[in-house]
Amino acid sequence: MTAVGSKCKVCKGPAVIGLRRHHAHFCAEHLQQLCRRQVAKAIEDFDMLSFDDRILVAVSGGKDSLAVWDMLIEAGYQADGLYVGLGIGEYSDSSGGYVRRFADERGLNLQTVDLRDDYGFDIPTASKATKRVPCSACGLSKRRVFDKAALDGGYDVLVTGHNLDDEAAVLYGNTLRWDIDYLARQLPVLPATNGFPKKVKPLVRLTEREMAAWCLVRGIDYIVEECPIAAGNKHLVYKHSLNVIDESSPGAKAAFYLGFLDRMAPILEGRSAAAIGQLQDCERCGSPTTSTVCAFCMLIERSSEHDPVPVDMVLSKRARKEFS
Amino acid sequence: MQGTRSVNRLLDDLDLNRESHLVIRNGTLVPGDALLADADEIEVRPVISGGSH
Repeated sequence: MTAVGSKCKVCKGPAVIGLRRHHAHFCAEHLQQLCRRQVAKAIEDFDMLSFDDRILVAVSGGKDSLAVWDMLIEAGYQADGLYVGLGIGEYSDSSGGYVRRFADERGLNLQTVDLRDDYGFDIPTASKATKRVPCSACGLSKRRVFDKAALDGGYDVLVTGHNLDDEAAVLYGNTLRWDIDYLARQLPVLPATNGFPKKVKPLVRLTEREMAAWCLVRGIDYIVEECPIAAGNKHLVYKHSLNVIDESSPGAKAAFYLGFLDRMAPILEGRSAAAIGQLQDCERCGSPTTSTVCAFCMLIERSSEHDPVPVDMVLSKRARKEFS
Repeated sequence: MQGTRSVNRLLDDLDLNRESHLVIRNGTLVPGDALLADADEIEVRPVISGGSH
């Protein structure tokens, strides 16, 4: 059975995907061309990277981070990978395997940090010990481990695989709360400052669906399974909400986020806590923080003293919440 | 499910959002108007991921 008739907008060959926000279908070759151009535009528009930069890519084993690593290497950038073992049971074992195979098959340099081995805690334990929701403990830990690895390794830039859906969902949440500090620093490039490396997000012009399609047509094997702890979190609820809107108004999600960058971010410039001088150095690690001790040092202190918590314990807690 | 139907029809019948899924037929990515027959091997792949940010 073959396709009824969708043709690639560029070459008129058989299409593999329709992208309603572009009012067009694309074959595998021209889908890749579109993705490459969108990444190149993001890099150029926001002055993200240069070919002389030593780049560290944070990779999880999921589609986005492997795709951005693939794209940067293909484009000729010098990019190493960084994988952080989060201690989320079989999920972490599996995701690490995808990353190692990707790097091995391409002869790429991969660095690994393990939260339990290197910092004395894992995500389920950190969640329980700090009473943070697991995704909050995970995000905080990853950001700080990424920052440290980039600075310690002498890298010029840290790259993450955040895509348009990720950024639109965060923008949606920040807007619902009118969180001016978060809105003011929700940019695809964060410049290097004292204690922070330069951080960039080259995939902000590409959707999750486009990134999954990139991996499929490029033969990139990634972990499709969602993190078991993330199920039902607010971030996924926001993504779903935006996709419901996008299904009835194709392109609305992209317009929401890209319009924010174009027209709202300039208005918010200078309104973040960092910009208005509300940050001080953490008295323990020296990282910028709004408190005397930063959130990550507090997390390490509480988590490393706590008995290890099995993943099931966090899962069952969330499951009870979902069904209550 | 039995009977030939398009990718879009399959997603609608399963009450799945088109922006949140890709459909792979016999190992190849296919667009919304591709027809799926009983003999085809079909994978409906969710594309939404994300916990921490």
